[in-house]
Amino acid sequence: MHLRVDYDKCTKSGECYYNHPDLFKPGEDGFPAVLQPDVPAELEWEARGAAEVCPVQAIIVSSGGSTTEKA
Amino acid sequence: MTTARDAAIDPREFDSAGFQRNPFPLYQRLRDHHPLYHDRFHNRWVISRYDDLVAVFQDNVRFDRAVYKPDGPFAFGKRHVFGPNILEYGNGARHNWLRNIVANQFVGQKLNDFLPVIEQIARELIDTFSASAAADLAKGFAGGEVELVSQFSNQFPVRVISNMLGLPRADEDRFVGWYQALIAGLGFGGEHFARGIAARDEMWAYLDPIIDARTAHPGEDLVSRIVTAELRGQRLSRLEVKGFVALLLAAGGDTTDKAIANMWYHMLYTRPDQFTAVRQDPELWSNVFTEMMRFDPVVHTQGRHTTCEVELHGDVIPERASVTLYLGAGNRDERVFKGPDTFDLFRSDLHMGRELRSGRYGDGTAGHLGFGMGQHFCMGYAMARQEAVIACQRLQAAMPNARPKYATHEGITAPSIDSGGFRAPRELWILFDVS
Repeated sequence: MHLRVDYDKCTKSGECYYNHPDLFKPGEDGFPAVLQPDVPAELEWEARGAAEVCPVQAIIVSSGGSTTEKA
Repeated sequence: MTTARDAAIDPREFDSAGFQRNPFPLYQRLRDHHPLYHDRFHNRWVISRYDDLVAVFQDNVRFDRAVYKPDGPFAFGKRHVFGPNILEYGNGARHNWLRNIVANQFVGQKLNDFLPVIEQIARELIDTFSASAAADLAKGFAGGEVELVSQFSNQFPVRVISNMLGLPRADEDRFVGWYQALIAGLGFGGEHFARGIAARDEMWAYLDPIIDARTAHPGEDLVSRIVTAELRGQRLSRLEVKGFVALLLAAGGDTTDKAIANMWYHMLYTRPDQFTAVRQDPELWSNVFTEMMRFDPVVHTQGRHTTCEVELHGDVIPERASVTLYLGAGNRDERVFKGPDTFDLFRSDLHMGRELRSGRYGDGTAGHLGFGMGQHFCMGYAMARQEAVIACQRLQAAMPNARPKYATHEGITAPSIDSGGFRAPRELWILFDVS
């Protein structure tokens, strides 16, 4: 599973790094840095949760090897 | 000019009826002369300036919110009206896990998916009072009238949250009754507390078969998510599940209902001149929500306890001290908000629109502190905002020429600000035209 942030949409709400500190941390500028762009299996549930909790749907998870993206 | 009275604060003022009606003068004195106030009478320390509150919110190590830790200042409590307040215990990984069980239902796409249900519940409630207004008109009243608190706002958010919990719609009235008793039990003592406990116990007995059913056949509702959530193979105990449900009902019900009443109060009494603009552009109800949350938020206080000595404003808060954070005072800090005691939908120093949990607005505006900030930011903030704005827009559409029935009003008050009493008008009579 691959994880990335669409920084054009990101509003720096912080939901991702507050709720899922194993996957994101706040940068100096307030934008989230992705700690694990290749998500280990045990964190896939968290990654999907992060994609859901982002108020502006700026977190994108996609299955490895697939061309379909889930926003 | 600073007088002796300005300088000295009698801590019994916090218990006075005057403070509950209007805390703002005392807040001013705290901010001006006692930014860190040691309240020996109530055995706590009090912080009131905006920047200090933000610093505390961002310092979860030295200012801990955990209440039910074995070594925290309070023992694990069935004594509390909600039972163990699930989200207040632990910090770090367990706290995050608990929030994450439900957090993504209240923000983002899942919330968007739920908006039609919110709209429908608002419509149903409005139809109830609109129908009676039409019937009253038939009996010869000059126009429609509604008491907004009992006929709408006390009913609306609790029905929304009980929907999300997946509770049978036929039982909604029972939930309204229970949660109102729970809230009274929180805000008052004595017999109200006893009734709150009794209501809680009735509600928990009601939930037992539902918890059994959802454990056996989980669905997509919040109760199912709570009962099936696992951390390292461990699920929540039945008591913890019930505590969680009680918390969601109270946090999701009582606060939002008061927000709606406060928004209408300000439009009818505080700034009827600005209500004109809102009538012409109902999108401005979003500004009404935001400025209400700054000017006089539903929740005025949050609590922390120190985990070590903390130096602030030339004094030292000892370790394991109780600290009261007056959000309502920070929101009126003239260091951040110009003309802070004026309710103004168009102020340029307040960030309007959806709040950011991080508080990092970065556009020259500041956020209100009504939802807190950071780690323990209100989990329901996006849903509260949507519910309140949708409800107010539907109400406005259903109440042409809405105006106050009474020329004066006792104002916004709380049973007890320091005991978690939430602020709102006790009733709000509104007249409107019926065609």
